[in-house]
Amino acid sequence: MTSPRLLAGLPRLRGVLPLLLLLILWQVTAPARSPYFPPPSTWWTSFEAMSRSGRLYPALASTVLTFAAGLAIACLAGAVLGMLIGTSRAAKRALEPLLEFCRGLPPPVIVPVAVLLLGYAESLKLLVVVWVAMWPILLNVAAAAERVDPLLHDVARSFRLGALASLKKITLPSIVPPLMIGVRVAVPLAIIITLLVEMITMLPGIGSLIVTAQRNFRSADVYALLVLVGLVGFVLNSLFVIVEDLLLRRFPPRMHKLQ
Amino acid sequence: MRQLNLSGTLTILLVLAVWEAAIRSGLVTYEYLPAPSAILVASWTLLRSGELAAQTLHTIGAVLLGWAIASVVGLSLGLALGYSRTVRTYLEASLELLRPLPGIAFLPVALLIFNFSLSTELAVMIFASVWPVLINTMGGIMSVATRLHDVARTLRLTPARTVTRLLIPAAAPSIIVGCRLGLGTALVMAIIAEMLGNPHGLGYAVVSELQAMQPERMFVYVLAIGFLALALNAALVAASRLMLRNRG
Repeated sequence: MTSPRLLAGLPRLRGVLPLLLLLILWQVTAPARSPYFPPPSTWWTSFEAMSRSGRLYPALASTVLTFAAGLAIACLAGAVLGMLIGTSRAAKRALEPLLEFCRGLPPPVIVPVAVLLLGYAESLKLLVVVWVAMWPILLNVAAAAERVDPLLHDVARSFRLGALASLKKITLPSIVPPLMIGVRVAVPLAIIITLLVEMITMLPGIGSLIVTAQRNFRSADVYALLVLVGLVGFVLNSLFVIVEDLLLRRFPPRMHKLQ
Repeated sequence: MRQLNLSGTLTILLVLAVWEAAIRSGLVTYEYLPAPSAILVASWTLLRSGELAAQTLHTIGAVLLGWAIASVVGLSLGLALGYSRTVRTYLEASLELLRPLPGIAFLPVALLIFNFSLSTELAVMIFASVWPVLINTMGGIMSVATRLHDVARTLRLTPARTVTRLLIPAAAPSIIVGCRLGLGTALVMAIIAEMLGNPHGLGYAVVSELQAMQPERMFVYVLAIGFLALALNAALVAASRLMLRNRG
Protein backbone atom coordinates (compact mmCIF):
# COMPACT_ATOMS: atom_id res chain seq x y z
CA MET A 1 0.00 0.00 0.00
CA THR A 2 2.99 2.32 -0.35
CA SER A 3 2.41 3.05 -4.01
CA PRO A 4 0.32 6.26 -3.69
CA ARG A 5 2.92 7.75 -1.38
CA LEU A 6 5.72 6.71 -3.68
CA LEU A 7 3.95 8.30 -6.62
CA ALA A 8 3.39 11.48 -4.65
CA GLY A 9 7.09 11.63 -3.89
CA LEU A 10 8.11 11.07 -7.49
CA PRO A 11 7.42 14.56 -8.87
CA ARG A 12 9.71 15.98 -6.22
CA LEU A 13 12.44 13.58 -7.31
CA ARG A 14 11.90 14.39 -10.97
CA GLY A 15 12.16 18.04 -10.04
CA VAL A 16 15.68 17.56 -8.72
CA LEU A 17 16.78 16.11 -12.08
CA PRO A 18 17.96 19.37 -13.69
CA LEU A 19 20.16 20.17 -10.71
CA LEU A 20 21.50 16.63 -10.65
CA LEU A 21 22.24 16.68 -14.39
CA LEU A 22 24.02 19.99 -14.01
CA LEU A 23 26.21 18.63 -11.23
CA ILE A 24 27.00 15.45 -13.18
CA LEU A 25 27.86 17.46 -16.30
CA TRP A 26 30.02 19.71 -14.14
CA GLN A 27 31.79 16.71 -12.61
CA VAL A 28 32.49 15.16 -16.01
CA THR A 29 33.55 18.24 -17.94
CA ALA A 30 35.42 20.42 -15.43
CA PRO A 31 39.18 19.91 -15.08
CA ALA A 32 40.05 18.62 -11.61
CA ARG A 33 42.09 21.70 -10.68
CA SER A 34 39.86 24.34 -12.27
CA PRO A 35 40.35 27.67 -10.50
CA TYR A 36 36.77 28.71 -11.29
CA PHE A 37 34.61 25.60 -11.51
CA PRO A 38 36.19 22.78 -9.51
CA PRO A 39 34.19 19.56 -9.98
CA PRO A 40 31.78 18.64 -7.16
CA SER A 41 33.86 15.65 -6.04
CA THR A 42 36.65 18.02 -5.01
CA TRP A 43 34.16 19.95 -2.87
CA TRP A 44 33.70 16.86 -0.77
CA THR A 45 37.42 16.17 -0.39
CA SER A 46 38.08 19.76 0.64
CA PHE A 47 35.15 19.63 3.05
CA GLU A 48 36.71 16.56 4.67
CA ALA A 49 40.10 18.25 4.80
CA MET A 50 38.57 21.33 6.43
CA SER A 51 36.63 19.34 9.00
CA ARG A 52 39.80 17.39 9.88
CA SER A 53 41.77 20.62 10.29
CA GLY A 54 39.52 21.50 13.24
CA ARG A 55 38.80 25.03 12.09
CA LEU A 56 35.44 24.31 10.49
CA TYR A 57 33.30 23.31 13.46
CA PRO A 58 34.28 26.14 15.84
CA ALA A 59 33.54 28.58 13.00
CA LEU A 60 30.20 26.92 12.31
CA ALA A 61 29.30 26.97 16.00
CA SER A 62 30.21 30.64 16.27
CA THR A 63 28.06 31.57 13.27
CA VAL A 64 25.03 29.55 14.36
CA LEU A 65 25.32 30.77 17.94
CA THR A 66 25.50 34.42 16.88
CA PHE A 67 22.49 33.93 14.64
CA ALA A 68 20.42 32.16 17.31
CA ALA A 69 21.30 34.50 20.18
CA GLY A 70 20.82 37.56 17.97
CA LEU A 71 17.42 36.38 16.81
CA ALA A 72 16.29 35.53 20.35
CA ILE A 73 17.31 38.93 21.73
CA ALA A 74 15.71 40.63 18.71
CA CYS A 75 12.43 38.79 19.38
CA LEU A 76 12.37 39.84 23.01
CA ALA A 77 13.43 43.44 22.39
CA GLY A 78 11.19 43.78 19.34
CA ALA A 79 8.16 42.41 21.19
CA VAL A 80 8.64 44.61 24.27
CA LEU A 81 9.44 47.80 22.36
CA GLY A 82 6.71 47.05 19.83
CA MET A 83 4.15 46.67 22.63
CA LEU A 84 5.22 49.93 24.24
CA ILE A 85 5.12 51.85 20.99
CA GLY A 86 1.94 50.22 19.72
CA THR A 87 -0.15 50.84 22.82
CA SER A 88 0.45 54.59 22.81
CA ARG A 89 -0.83 56.39 19.76
CA ALA A 90 1.18 59.52 20.54
CA ALA A 91 4.41 57.56 20.95
CA LYS A 92 3.78 55.75 17.69
CA ARG A 93 3.18 58.96 15.80
CA ALA A 94 6.22 60.64 17.29
CA LEU A 95 8.58 57.74 16.63
CA GLU A 96 7.22 56.53 13.30
CA PRO A 97 9.44 58.52 10.87
CA LEU A 98 12.59 57.71 12.82
CA LEU A 99 11.68 54.02 12.99
CA GLU A 100 10.79 53.92 9.31
CA PHE A 101 14.18 55.36 8.43
CA CYS A 102 15.98 52.89 10.68
CA ARG A 103 14.08 50.01 9.18
CA GLY A 104 14.50 51.27 5.63
CA LEU A 105 18.26 51.61 6.01
CA PRO A 106 19.68 48.66 4.06
CA PRO A 107 21.00 46.28 6.76
CA PRO A 108 24.57 45.92 5.43
CA VAL A 109 25.19 49.63 6.11
CA ILE A 110 24.92 48.99 9.83
CA VAL A 111 28.07 46.88 9.82
CA PRO A 112 30.61 49.66 9.10
CA VAL A 113 28.82 51.99 11.52
CA ALA A 114 29.03 49.39 14.26
CA VAL A 115 32.68 48.68 13.47
CA LEU A 116 33.43 52.38 13.72
CA LEU A 117 31.71 52.80 17.07
CA LEU A 118 32.57 49.49 18.72
CA GLY A 119 35.76 48.35 17.08
CA TYR A 120 36.36 44.78 16.01
CA ALA A 121 34.92 43.19 19.16
CA GLU A 122 33.20 39.83 19.34
CA SER A 123 30.11 41.54 20.80
CA LEU A 124 29.83 43.57 17.59
CA LYS A 125 28.56 40.54 15.68
CA LEU A 126 25.72 39.97 18.09
CA LEU A 127 24.73 43.63 18.28
CA VAL A 128 24.50 44.05 14.53
CA VAL A 129 22.36 40.94 14.14
CA VAL A 130 20.03 42.11 16.91
CA TRP A 131 19.71 45.57 15.37
CA VAL A 132 18.86 44.22 11.92
CA ALA A 133 16.52 41.42 13.00
CA MET A 134 14.65 43.61 15.49
CA TRP A 135 12.95 46.02 13.07
CA PRO A 136 10.55 43.73 11.22
CA ILE A 137 9.52 42.19 14.58
CA LEU A 138 9.13 45.53 16.34
CA LEU A 139 7.05 47.10 13.58
CA ASN A 140 4.78 44.08 13.21
CA VAL A 141 4.16 43.85 16.94
CA ALA A 142 3.57 47.61 17.19
CA ALA A 143 1.02 47.48 14.37
CA ALA A 144 -0.78 44.56 16.03
CA ALA A 145 -0.69 46.08 19.52
CA GLU A 146 -2.39 49.14 18.10
CA ARG A 147 -5.24 47.00 16.80
CA VAL A 148 -5.88 45.10 20.05
CA ASP A 149 -9.34 45.98 21.28
CA PRO A 150 -8.95 48.05 24.46
CA LEU A 151 -12.08 46.28 25.67
CA LEU A 152 -9.99 43.12 26.06
CA HIS A 153 -7.93 44.81 28.75
CA ASP A 154 -11.11 45.95 30.49
CA VAL A 155 -12.32 42.37 30.41
CA ALA A 156 -9.09 41.26 32.04
CA ARG A 157 -9.58 43.87 34.73
CA SER A 158 -13.20 42.94 35.38
CA PHE A 159 -12.29 39.31 35.74
CA ARG A 160 -9.48 40.40 38.07
CA LEU A 161 -6.93 38.43 36.07
CA GLY A 162 -3.47 38.56 37.59
CA ALA A 163 -0.55 39.92 35.61
CA LEU A 164 0.53 36.42 34.61
CA ALA A 165 -2.94 35.32 33.59
CA SER A 166 -3.61 38.39 31.53
CA LEU A 167 -0.22 37.99 29.87
CA LYS A 168 -1.17 34.44 28.96
CA LYS A 169 -4.74 35.09 27.93
CA ILE A 170 -4.68 38.57 26.40
CA THR A 171 -1.18 39.72 25.53
CA LEU A 172 0.51 36.61 24.16
CA PRO A 173 -2.37 35.55 21.88
CA SER A 174 -2.42 38.99 20.30
CA ILE A 175 1.37 39.31 20.06
CA VAL A 176 2.55 35.88 18.91
CA PRO A 177 1.03 35.79 15.39
CA PRO A 178 2.43 39.20 14.32
CA LEU A 179 5.69 38.36 16.07
CA MET A 180 6.00 35.25 13.94
CA ILE A 181 5.35 37.23 10.75
CA GLY A 182 8.18 39.54 11.76
CA VAL A 183 10.46 36.62 12.58
CA ARG A 184 9.77 35.09 9.18
CA VAL A 185 11.29 38.22 7.62
CA ALA A 186 14.04 38.39 10.23
CA VAL A 187 15.40 34.83 9.87
CA PRO A 188 16.90 35.13 6.37
CA LEU A 189 18.03 38.69 7.18
CA ALA A 190 19.81 37.52 10.32
CA ILE A 191 21.59 34.73 8.40
CA ILE A 192 22.79 37.18 5.74
CA ILE A 193 23.95 39.74 8.27
CA THR A 194 25.78 37.22 10.44
CA LEU A 195 27.75 36.11 7.40
CA LEU A 196 28.33 39.68 6.24
CA VAL A 197 29.69 40.85 9.59
CA GLU A 198 32.08 37.93 9.57
CA MET A 199 33.13 38.68 6.01
CA ILE A 200 33.81 42.36 6.68
CA THR A 201 35.38 42.10 10.12
CA MET A 202 37.00 38.68 9.64
CA LEU A 203 35.84 37.76 13.13
CA PRO A 204 35.75 33.95 13.42
CA GLY A 205 32.85 32.25 11.65
CA ILE A 206 31.81 30.66 8.38
CA GLY A 207 31.76 34.06 6.65
CA SER A 208 35.41 34.78 7.33
CA LEU A 209 36.30 31.18 6.43
CA ILE A 210 34.70 31.61 3.00
CA VAL A 211 36.45 34.94 2.37
CA THR A 212 39.82 33.51 3.42
CA ALA A 213 39.34 30.58 1.06
CA GLN A 214 38.40 32.91 -1.78
CA ARG A 215 41.37 35.23 -1.16
CA ASN A 216 43.72 32.25 -1.28
CA PHE A 217 42.05 30.96 -4.47
CA ARG A 218 41.09 27.68 -2.80
CA SER A 219 38.06 27.38 -5.07
CA ALA A 220 36.99 23.90 -3.95
CA ASP A 221 36.85 25.17 -0.35
CA VAL A 222 34.68 28.10 -1.46
CA TYR A 223 32.16 25.81 -3.14
CA ALA A 224 32.17 23.37 -0.23
CA LEU A 225 31.46 26.21 2.21
CA LEU A 226 28.76 27.57 -0.10
CA VAL A 227 26.96 24.23 0.03
CA LEU A 228 27.44 24.12 3.80
CA VAL A 229 25.93 27.60 4.17
CA GLY A 230 23.02 26.49 1.99
CA LEU A 231 22.45 23.44 4.19
CA VAL A 232 22.69 25.47 7.40
CA GLY A 233 20.24 28.03 5.98
CA PHE A 234 17.90 25.22 5.01
CA VAL A 235 18.05 23.61 8.46
CA LEU A 236 17.54 26.92 10.29
CA ASN A 237 14.58 27.79 8.06
CA SER A 238 13.01 24.36 8.61
CA LEU A 239 13.49 24.69 12.37
CA PHE A 240 11.77 28.04 12.22
CA VAL A 241 8.82 26.58 10.31
CA ILE A 242 8.42 23.89 13.00
CA VAL A 243 8.55 26.42 15.83
CA GLU A 244 6.12 28.68 13.97
CA ASP A 245 3.71 25.78 13.48
CA LEU A 246 3.81 24.89 17.17
CA LEU A 247 3.33 28.46 18.34
CA LEU A 248 0.55 29.27 15.89
CA ARG A 249 -1.31 26.13 16.93
CA ARG A 250 -1.08 27.31 20.54
CA PHE A 251 -1.88 30.96 19.68
CA PRO A 252 -3.92 30.93 16.48
CA PRO A 253 -4.11 34.22 14.56
CA ARG A 254 -7.51 35.82 14.84
CA MET A 255 -9.39 39.05 14.58
CA HIS A 256 -8.72 41.12 17.64
CA LYS A 257 -12.28 42.33 17.97
CA LEU A 258 -14.85 41.16 20.45
CA GLN A 259 -17.98 40.05 18.74
CA MET B 1 -1.24 63.99 -0.02
CA ARG B 2 -0.21 62.82 3.38
CA GLN B 3 -0.05 65.57 5.91
CA LEU B 4 3.18 66.39 7.70
CA ASN B 5 3.75 64.34 10.83
CA LEU B 6 4.73 67.21 13.14
CA SER B 7 5.59 65.20 16.26
CA GLY B 8 7.55 62.74 14.15
CA THR B 9 9.63 65.50 12.60
CA LEU B 10 10.19 67.05 16.01
CA THR B 11 11.43 63.72 17.38
CA ILE B 12 14.03 63.46 14.64
CA LEU B 13 15.13 67.07 15.22
CA LEU B 14 15.29 66.39 18.96
CA VAL B 15 17.46 63.32 18.48
CA LEU B 16 19.80 65.32 16.25
CA ALA B 17 19.92 68.18 18.76
CA VAL B 18 20.70 65.87 21.69
CA TRP B 19 23.36 64.13 19.60
CA GLU B 20 24.94 67.48 18.69
CA ALA B 21 24.76 68.79 22.26
CA ALA B 22 26.20 65.61 23.73
CA ILE B 23 29.29 65.88 21.56
CA ARG B 24 29.69 69.66 21.80
CA SER B 25 29.47 69.61 25.58
CA GLY B 26 31.97 66.79 25.78
CA LEU B 27 29.42 64.60 27.52
CA VAL B 28 30.13 61.90 24.98
CA THR B 29 33.76 61.71 24.07
CA TYR B 30 33.57 59.06 21.43
CA GLU B 31 36.52 59.51 19.18
CA TYR B 32 34.75 58.23 16.11
CA LEU B 33 31.24 59.58 16.52
CA PRO B 34 30.97 62.83 14.56
CA ALA B 35 28.42 65.50 15.45
CA PRO B 36 25.53 66.04 13.02
CA SER B 37 26.95 69.44 12.12
CA ALA B 38 30.26 67.84 11.16
CA ILE B 39 28.38 65.35 8.97
CA LEU B 40 26.55 68.24 7.33
CA VAL B 41 29.82 69.99 6.55
CA ALA B 42 31.29 66.78 5.15
CA SER B 43 28.26 66.20 2.96
CA TRP B 44 28.62 69.70 1.52
CA THR B 45 32.27 68.98 0.69
CA LEU B 46 31.41 65.66 -0.92
CA LEU B 47 28.55 67.22 -2.86
CA ARG B 48 30.76 69.99 -4.21
CA SER B 49 33.57 67.65 -5.20
CA GLY B 50 31.09 65.47 -7.07
CA GLU B 51 32.19 62.31 -5.24
CA LEU B 52 28.80 61.76 -3.64
CA ALA B 53 27.01 62.09 -6.97
CA ALA B 54 29.44 59.78 -8.76
CA GLN B 55 29.17 57.01 -6.16
CA THR B 56 25.39 57.36 -5.96
CA LEU B 57 25.05 57.19 -9.72
CA HIS B 58 27.15 54.04 -9.88
CA THR B 59 24.98 52.33 -7.26
CA ILE B 60 21.71 53.45 -8.85
CA GLY B 61 22.88 52.31 -12.27
CA ALA B 62 24.04 48.93 -11.00
CA VAL B 63 20.85 48.39 -8.98
CA LEU B 64 18.56 49.26 -11.88
CA LEU B 65 20.51 47.11 -14.32
CA GLY B 66 20.67 44.11 -11.98
CA TRP B 67 17.04 44.53 -11.03
CA ALA B 68 15.93 44.72 -14.67
CA ILE B 69 17.81 41.54 -15.56
CA ALA B 70 16.54 39.76 -12.44
CA SER B 71 12.97 40.85 -13.20
CA VAL B 72 13.11 39.58 -16.79
CA VAL B 73 14.62 36.25 -15.70
CA GLY B 74 12.23 35.92 -12.75
CA LEU B 75 9.22 36.85 -14.84
CA SER B 76 10.06 34.37 -17.62
CA LEU B 77 10.81 31.53 -15.22
CA GLY B 78 7.75 32.38 -13.13
CA LEU B 79 5.54 32.40 -16.22
CA ALA B 80 6.87 29.06 -17.42
CA LEU B 81 6.47 27.52 -13.97
CA GLY B 82 3.03 28.97 -13.41
CA TYR B 83 1.72 28.10 -16.86
CA SER B 84 3.02 24.61 -17.44
CA ARG B 85 2.63 21.73 -15.08
CA THR B 86 5.42 19.86 -16.87
CA VAL B 87 7.92 22.64 -16.23
CA ARG B 88 6.84 22.68 -12.58
CA THR B 89 7.31 18.94 -12.23
CA TYR B 90 10.81 19.00 -13.64
CA LEU B 91 12.12 22.25 -12.24
CA GLU B 92 10.38 23.32 -9.05
CA ALA B 93 12.29 21.07 -6.64
CA SER B 94 15.64 22.14 -8.09
CA LEU B 95 14.75 25.78 -7.60
CA GLU B 96 13.46 25.06 -4.09
CA LEU B 97 16.88 23.66 -3.26
CA LEU B 98 18.70 26.72 -4.60
CA ARG B 99 16.37 29.34 -3.16
CA PRO B 100 17.33 29.19 0.54
CA LEU B 101 20.99 29.70 -0.39
CA PRO B 102 21.79 33.11 1.11
CA GLY B 103 22.82 35.38 -1.76
CA ILE B 104 25.77 36.66 0.21
CA ALA B 105 27.37 33.20 0.34
CA PHE B 106 27.35 33.35 -3.43
CA LEU B 107 29.58 36.44 -3.38
CA PRO B 108 32.92 34.63 -2.86
CA VAL B 109 32.04 32.30 -5.75
CA ALA B 110 31.21 35.28 -7.95
CA LEU B 111 34.52 36.84 -6.90
CA LEU B 112 36.38 33.68 -7.92
CA ILE B 113 34.77 33.73 -11.34
CA PHE B 114 34.44 37.45 -12.15
CA ASN B 115 37.08 39.00 -9.88
CA PHE B 116 36.52 42.51 -8.51
CA SER B 117 34.15 43.86 -11.14
CA LEU B 118 30.66 45.02 -11.99
CA SER B 119 29.90 41.46 -13.15
CA THR B 120 30.42 40.23 -9.59
CA GLU B 121 28.04 42.86 -8.30
CA LEU B 122 25.44 42.02 -10.93
CA ALA B 123 25.76 38.26 -10.44
CA VAL B 124 25.12 38.51 -6.69
CA MET B 125 22.26 40.94 -7.19
CA ILE B 126 20.58 38.85 -9.84
CA PHE B 127 20.93 35.60 -7.92
CA ALA B 128 19.25 37.13 -4.88
CA SER B 129 16.52 39.26 -6.45
CA VAL B 130 15.29 36.74 -9.02
CA TRP B 131 13.47 34.81 -6.28
CA PRO B 132 10.80 37.28 -5.16
CA VAL B 133 9.89 38.04 -8.79
CA LEU B 134 9.82 34.35 -9.70
CA ILE B 135 7.77 33.23 -6.70
CA ASN B 136 5.23 36.04 -6.99
CA THR B 137 4.82 35.63 -10.76
CA MET B 138 4.35 31.89 -10.42
CA GLY B 139 1.89 32.32 -7.57
CA GLY B 140 0.00 35.02 -9.45
CA ILE B 141 -0.30 32.96 -12.62
CA MET B 142 -1.35 29.83 -10.77
CA SER B 143 -4.06 31.62 -8.81
CA VAL B 144 -5.70 33.04 -11.94
CA ALA B 145 -9.26 31.83 -11.81
CA THR B 146 -10.09 28.78 -13.90
CA ARG B 147 -12.93 30.89 -15.28
CA LEU B 148 -10.36 32.93 -17.19
CA HIS B 149 -8.84 29.79 -18.67
CA ASP B 150 -12.33 28.88 -19.87
CA VAL B 151 -12.61 32.31 -21.46
CA ALA B 152 -9.30 31.73 -23.26
CA ARG B 153 -10.55 28.41 -24.56
CA THR B 154 -13.87 29.86 -25.68
CA LEU B 155 -12.12 32.66 -27.55
CA ARG B 156 -9.68 30.11 -28.98
CA LEU B 157 -6.73 32.21 -27.89
CA THR B 158 -3.30 30.85 -28.76
CA PRO B 159 -1.13 30.04 -25.73
CA ALA B 160 1.01 33.12 -26.43
CA ARG B 161 -2.02 35.40 -26.48
CA THR B 162 -3.47 33.70 -23.42
CA VAL B 163 -0.31 34.56 -21.53
CA THR B 164 0.08 38.16 -22.72
CA ARG B 165 -3.57 39.18 -22.84
CA LEU B 166 -5.05 37.22 -19.99
CA LEU B 167 -2.62 35.72 -17.52
CA ILE B 168 -0.09 38.55 -17.16
CA PRO B 169 -2.76 41.25 -16.66
CA ALA B 170 -4.60 39.04 -14.18
CA ALA B 171 -1.41 38.33 -12.25
CA ALA B 172 -0.10 41.90 -12.51
CA PRO B 173 -0.68 42.92 -8.89
CA SER B 174 1.28 39.98 -7.58
CA ILE B 175 4.02 40.40 -10.23
CA ILE B 176 4.40 44.05 -9.25
CA VAL B 177 4.74 43.12 -5.58
CA GLY B 178 7.45 40.64 -6.57
CA CYS B 179 9.32 43.29 -8.54
CA ARG B 180 9.11 45.70 -5.61
CA LEU B 181 10.58 43.15 -3.23
CA GLY B 182 13.19 42.37 -5.87
CA LEU B 183 14.32 46.00 -6.01
CA GLY B 184 14.80 46.12 -2.24
CA THR B 185 16.85 42.93 -2.38
CA ALA B 186 18.85 44.24 -5.34
CA LEU B 187 19.83 47.36 -3.40
CA VAL B 188 20.89 45.38 -0.33
CA MET B 189 22.95 42.98 -2.42
CA ALA B 190 24.49 45.82 -4.42
CA ILE B 191 25.69 47.48 -1.22
CA ILE B 192 27.10 44.18 0.04
CA ALA B 193 28.81 43.46 -3.29
CA GLU B 194 30.30 46.95 -3.35
CA MET B 195 31.60 46.53 0.19
CA LEU B 196 33.36 43.27 -0.57
CA GLY B 197 33.47 42.71 -4.30
CA ASN B 198 33.25 45.67 -6.64
CA PRO B 199 35.32 48.70 -5.58
CA HIS B 200 32.82 51.30 -6.78
CA GLY B 201 29.62 52.88 -5.53
CA LEU B 202 28.16 53.84 -2.16
CA GLY B 203 28.90 50.53 -0.44
CA TYR B 204 32.56 50.79 -1.37
CA ALA B 205 32.62 54.45 -0.30
CA VAL B 206 31.35 53.57 3.18
CA VAL B 207 33.95 50.87 3.72
CA SER B 208 36.84 52.88 2.30
CA GLU B 209 35.98 55.92 4.46
CA LEU B 210 35.84 53.56 7.44
CA GLN B 211 39.31 52.29 6.66
CA ALA B 212 40.54 55.85 6.07
CA MET B 213 39.17 56.76 9.52
CA GLN B 214 36.96 59.52 8.13
CA PRO B 215 33.81 59.03 10.23
CA GLU B 216 32.08 62.21 9.00
CA ARG B 217 32.43 61.18 5.38
CA MET B 218 31.39 57.63 6.20
CA PHE B 219 28.18 58.84 7.82
CA VAL B 220 27.40 60.95 4.75
CA TYR B 221 27.51 57.84 2.59
CA VAL B 222 25.51 55.82 5.15
CA LEU B 223 22.77 58.45 5.11
CA ALA B 224 22.93 58.64 1.33
CA ILE B 225 22.24 54.90 1.18
CA GLY B 226 19.31 55.30 3.58
CA PHE B 227 17.78 58.07 1.49
CA LEU B 228 18.41 56.14 -1.71
CA ALA B 229 16.49 53.19 -0.25
CA LEU B 230 13.58 55.44 0.71
CA ALA B 231 13.57 57.16 -2.69
CA LEU B 232 13.67 53.93 -4.69
CA ASN B 233 10.85 52.48 -2.64
CA ALA B 234 8.74 55.63 -2.95
CA ALA B 235 9.31 55.78 -6.71
CA LEU B 236 8.27 52.17 -7.06
CA VAL B 237 5.15 52.56 -4.93
CA ALA B 238 4.12 55.52 -7.10
CA ALA B 239 4.89 53.63 -10.32
CA SER B 240 2.96 50.53 -9.29
CA ARG B 241 -0.04 52.64 -8.28
CA LEU B 242 0.04 54.29 -11.68
CA MET B 243 0.29 50.97 -13.53
CA LEU B 244 -2.51 49.34 -11.59
CA ARG B 245 -4.73 52.38 -12.05
CA ASN B 246 -4.20 52.45 -15.82
CA ARG B 247 -5.26 48.85 -15.92
CA GLY B 248 -8.67 50.02 -14.77
